[in-house]
Amino acid sequence: MSSREQILQALAQSSIDIEMPQADLSAFKSPATDTNTLLARFGESVTTVAGNLVDATGEQAIIIEQHINDLMANNNQVLSLVEGVSGNQQMPDSPHELQHIDYAILPAKFGVAENGAVWINTQMLNRHDTQAHRALPFICENLIIVLDKQNIIATMHQAPELMSLANDDFGVFISGPSKTADIEQALVVGAHGACTLTIYLV
Amino acid sequence: MYSSNNHAKNARIFCQDEGRVDWHSKALWNLRAKRDKAAASIPEWEALRQAGSQIKLHTLSNLSHYLQMFEKQCVANGIHVHWAKDASEHNKIALDILAKHQVKKLVKSKSMLTEECHLNPFLEQHGIEVIDTDLGERIIQLNNQPPSHIVVPAIHMKKEEVGDLFHEKLHTPKGESDPTRLTRAARQHLRDQFLSADAAMTGVNMAVASEGAVVVCTNEGNADMGVNLPALQLHSMGIDKIVPDHDSAIVLLRMLARNAIGQPITTYSSFYRGSKINGEMHIIIVDNGRTEIMKDKILAESLKCIRCGGCLNTCPVYRRSGGFSYNYTIPGPIGIAVGAQHDDSNTIPWACTLCGSCTYVCPTKVPLDKIIAHHRRLKAQAGKLPFGKKHYMPLVGKLMSSPTMLNCAMSSARVALKIIPHSIIKPFSGAWGQYRELPVSPKSSFDTWYKQHTAAKKEAK
Ligand code: SF4
Repeated sequence: MSSREQILQALAQSSIDIEMPQADLSAFKSPATDTNTLLARFGESVTTVAGNLVDATGEQAIIIEQHINDLMANNNQVLSLVEGVSGNQQMPDSPHELQHIDYAILPAKFGVAENGAVWINTQMLNRHDTQAHRALPFICENLIIVLDKQNIIATMHQAPELMSLANDDFGVFISGPSKTADIEQALVVGAHGACTLTIYLV
Repeated sequence: MYSSNNHAKNARIFCQDEGRVDWHSKALWNLRAKRDKAAASIPEWEALRQAGSQIKLHTLSNLSHYLQMFEKQCVANGIHVHWAKDASEHNKIALDILAKHQVKKLVKSKSMLTEECHLNPFLEQHGIEVIDTDLGERIIQLNNQPPSHIVVPAIHMKKEEVGDLFHEKLHTPKGESDPTRLTRAARQHLRDQFLSADAAMTGVNMAVASEGAVVVCTNEGNADMGVNLPALQLHSMGIDKIVPDHDSAIVLLRMLARNAIGQPITTYSSFYRGSKINGEMHIIIVDNGRTEIMKDKILAESLKCIRCGGCLNTCPVYRRSGGFSYNYTIPGPIGIAVGAQHDDSNTIPWACTLCGSCTYVCPTKVPLDKIIAHHRRLKAQAGKLPFGKKHYMPLVGKLMSSPTMLNCAMSSARVALKIIPHSIIKPFSGAWGQYRELPVSPKSSFDTWYKQHTAAKKEAK
């Protein structure tokens, strides 16, 4: 008998026989909240997780371009997957070559007000480049996210409808820059992933 | 690696350095305080815990169904699924996959399951270099130690010790103990490892049955750095990691980091539903004693655990006895719950005051104190009460059940406490009395006081 069958058979003798129904989670899908409240909450959360939030809506849109131009003028390697924002680097053949990227600029599908997380999946990464490497959001030194302010949800419970993970897909909630407190519980921002995270709201 | 000394003896080693114990206890209590704040910021927290418990119970009671659903979805997503009934089969499967791909260097992110299976030494014996990539895990790996906590594995070490270790192994400047500079040095060192690894392995926080996806959570980004560079990725999971769908995974995800360290969510919560282009993804599903645990109705609830570490942070015994005192990979209340059956010293279920603080903070309502008391009962039934307790515990049972005998015994104890010098009685109180003063004997028992009091009241009427 294979191990698979042995395990499944052993489960038949489990003593947890109570037919516990599937939990009803509908109550957690919070009622609609207005955009301003969501924006304010999202902003607080991003700060809590050591991220940066910049308002680039309406007339402010220009500041993204200015920022990126400044970065490139300072000899940074910038790779952008956001439409209308161009960097100075192309997607390399191997993910390992991404190690030199100083700034990656990526579109996020939605943001979550309660924890400042943004959702990025392969669909977002591949919108303009069919061979975007999954390693990009993690290996870049600094991460810049562009997010439509209409796409902020109140809590994680609204996320599953929007995550749209296709077969063989990959997606990630990213909340702030990478961090650790493994040495004497002292918080250090910048562990293995990006050392800074800036979110531009458009 | 783990001794089977009795818990009090192990704890004594940790307690030799009083300053360290105080720091350890405070640092963990600080995590508990942060957890309380994070929980209080969610008005529906208690409802979430209730839902978390129900999700886990529902899944466990239909585990065979969900495991098969998960497998089917994984296969549809092009993921290779393997089943291992125990640790040695798990290790063999991992080795076979790695050998087939001629892997020389494996980067790993935190996985309590692979600790439980002692995978690292096994792979090393077979010539594969294993690099733990979580900073805390890397520290203890370089220090040749097992983790002392399931979320903050190097909590037993002081920054100066980490500094010395890094000086020796990573050539940081002598005397450097600044956490930021040490972390930067580790980042550089581990970058090189990520870039030169042939394969990556992670644990699994949740496995989503309806999607055939695994969820991996880290703050450092080490799991994702590992998984997304080499072509080959492996994920090991216990059968208890299954949840039915995304909605259920989200409930647990909302509580996991809040309950662990008071953060609203881990920095990275990744959903892997298939390999990268031209890559290969393997999942190893492991039993290793879990189906056995599920045969006991009370112990079974320990499988609701999502390994947040909250119960360790709040435990008054763990905080002051350290993670190496439990004779098991997982320490603290949950370590007792899932590990006491392996404990030859038969003392670990007594490393607990039954205060219930763990049960109170648990996000999936694992009834830890009830499980620990149950372990004591199981040890007693098996005739395995620890030395000392073996002789008097059966008598205690009899004594407690007879009020007359109890009253008589208690009044002689009061007399004894009064007239015999404490230096003579103290040894009889065992480990309990070693660092405590014996109580001052009250003038009369509650029982006598109560009788006198009610009599006096009646007279007054
Ligand atoms: S038993 Fe509960 S509190 Fe303890 S680690 Fe598991 S989930 Fe967390």
